[in-house]
Amino acid sequence: MKDKRLGSIVSHNVLIAVLCIIWLIPIVWLVCMSFSAASNMNTSTFFPQEWSTKYYVQLFHSDTVNQFKAWFMNTFKIAVFTCIICTCFTLMVAYATSFGKFKARKPLMNVAVMLNLFPGVLTMIAVYFTLRTFGLTNSHIGLILVYSASSGLGYLICKGFFDTVPRALCEAARLDGCNEARIFAQIVIPTSRPIIVYTIISSFLTPWMDFVFAKMILNAGISENYTVAVGLYKMLDKSLINSYFTVFCCGGILVSIPIAVLFFIMQKFYVEGITAGAVKG
Amino acid sequence: MNKIGGAVAGFFRGIGNFFGEFFAAVAKGDWAVKLSLLVWGAGYAKRRQYVKATIMTALEVGLILFSVCFASQYVPKFGTLGTVQMAQEFNIETMQMEFNDYDHSFLILLFSLFSFVVWAVGLVVWMRNTVACYRLQQAAEAGKHINTFKEDCREYLGDKFHITLLTLPIIGIVIFTVIPILLLIFVAFTNYDQQHMPPSALFTWVGFENFKSLFSSGGMTVTFGYAFVRVLGWTLVWAFFATFTTYFGGILMSLLLNSKKTRAPRLWRTLLVITIAVPQFVSLLLVRNFFSNGGIVNTLCARIGLTGWLRSIGLISTSYIPFLTAPGWAHVMIILINIWIGVPYQMLIATGILMNLPSDQLESARVDGANKFQTFRYITMPYMLQVTAPTLVTDFVKNINNFNVIYLLTDGVYTTTNQLMANSQAKEVDLLVTWLFNLTQNYYNYKMAAVIGIVVFIVCAVFTLVAFNFLIRGDKEGVYQ
Repeated sequence: MKDKRLGSIVSHNVLIAVLCIIWLIPIVWLVCMSFSAASNMNTSTFFPQEWSTKYYVQLFHSDTVNQFKAWFMNTFKIAVFTCIICTCFTLMVAYATSFGKFKARKPLMNVAVMLNLFPGVLTMIAVYFTLRTFGLTNSHIGLILVYSASSGLGYLICKGFFDTVPRALCEAARLDGCNEARIFAQIVIPTSRPIIVYTIISSFLTPWMDFVFAKMILNAGISENYTVAVGLYKMLDKSLINSYFTVFCCGGILVSIPIAVLFFIMQKFYVEGITAGAVKG
Repeated sequence: MNKIGGAVAGFFRGIGNFFGEFFAAVAKGDWAVKLSLLVWGAGYAKRRQYVKATIMTALEVGLILFSVCFASQYVPKFGTLGTVQMAQEFNIETMQMEFNDYDHSFLILLFSLFSFVVWAVGLVVWMRNTVACYRLQQAAEAGKHINTFKEDCREYLGDKFHITLLTLPIIGIVIFTVIPILLLIFVAFTNYDQQHMPPSALFTWVGFENFKSLFSSGGMTVTFGYAFVRVLGWTLVWAFFATFTTYFGGILMSLLLNSKKTRAPRLWRTLLVITIAVPQFVSLLLVRNFFSNGGIVNTLCARIGLTGWLRSIGLISTSYIPFLTAPGWAHVMIILINIWIGVPYQMLIATGILMNLPSDQLESARVDGANKFQTFRYITMPYMLQVTAPTLVTDFVKNINNFNVIYLLTDGVYTTTNQLMANSQAKEVDLLVTWLFNLTQNYYNYKMAAVIGIVVFIVCAVFTLVAFNFLIRGDKEGVYQ
């Protein structure tokens, strides 16, 4: 009996290990390839034939194709501004829809649901026309606007959290003569630290993870203005892939590390936020 | 369906009340209220709210200036979208070739639309303003206190705080979501494409022509109907498989990881989450090269003899396995790769929900002698479905629009051999959104892209409405407050 149980535990854990290995193969390959001594993709063996770190060095020496340092700074700059605007907008809308008692509240929320059904890519084309009319394509301001202007629509998770903030607390404050603005700033915000951390990190990550909008807005511009996503994508162009594949892997790893760290911090809040939002519909 | 009916009825009742209030104000208001129909500030001025009166009148002047100086250049041409084609003329005074005063169809469309939105907002402000003036009159007649400007301002941090909070986000949404959507809908009724590109050429209204060419398959050159049916079919198949494989995969994975038998569950979970912590443009571009025709997987398959065996049974005719370059193969691979990228996400969500699974139910099931499968089938799954049904619906819609996976895996790699598809610039593996993206980015076929965009919206909207009304009942918002 005991042997049987032990056997089942071992097989159970072996199964998990096998799944994890399958899931990690491409990532391991990415790490291995970034330490390859050849510039092109290694197609004959899984591990590189010779190991070297020289492409990490090359990554930081800009040339006509590779401007990794500039891309990284661009993305960072865009991410900071996007993060500030998105966080403010999301919290503002979430507070108004959760605590507000005005007539247009429900209709506005229904309109938001409808608008969310239009995929971002789709409105993007029209936004692109508009930005081009004002000369904002190939500029970072245009991209920041695209990421953050409509962020008020993503208020649902945050509202789900605000709905759980005890109303008695706010009532007491109101009796003491607090106005809504003070309740928002001094009661609701301090008690909502988890959701604020989640909102900040997730909006900071948007420009790092996004590819479509960056490509659309910055595509025709000069290499120096790209974000990491567009820059790395261009490295895998058919004419460049043989000389830049390893550099791409190095860049991919370096950009993934900070993102992964933030992602792990956010992960906890992500689960809480999604499930809270799900329960509350 | 009651919910929709109620919402619609409520909507119209709201509009009715809005107009009712306005007409009541006009009918019962004194001369100041009536004058405020013409001069917005009049009603306030009479009650000595001079600052407010000045602001409202300034707004009115601004709106009039906007209409006269800006809108009047574009709106009158809205019906034709411009008639003067760009041309070069010889100017006798400067002795140079110069452009004539040509019409720019796109600017006419965009700025007319913008003017319409501004006017609509202006109309609402005008009506609200009249009602506000009337309320002021009522308050004054009842001998109530009339707010000073300072008190009015303070209200925007108090009872009207929601207006302060919502103004900026709503302006952002209107400019970057609502106006673009309206623009897109209008473009779908024009012939805006590569032959009609402003500023060198004009485009104009064509009615339902574009919709006809999308839904009809006749003719030798018109193949949009042919491509559309196939792309739509694959989009739905993809969305179905992508949603359900990752959903059930995620639940199974999380059950596996959260089992009592698992040693070091946190370690395994972290390892799995690494795959989604890497941005998709890195991981997907990498996987695409991993499975490329001359890539590492193909080399390994050839070495162990898999390629030869597949060729001998007739599944492939090439010297490599066309993982991402042949129809069929590519479809299956895309779904498999999506499982790789999607299951860890769903695993995280499922873990969070399963933690809250009421343990007494599981316990009583165990006491009653239910086996593992029965517990899963009758307790875990119903609970999961109940909690995650809304996310399941939104996931399906998200997958219909899952641009990243398809585009990053197939762009520049997959080329179609089907001439009829190629005529419409579509590929077998395209979703509606990637097709639309290519149409605009590479072929400047904006009219068809706009039509496809509308179709995508209709598909998503119908699906969501149906799903939400039949799957998910009741509004649970109040329960938690």
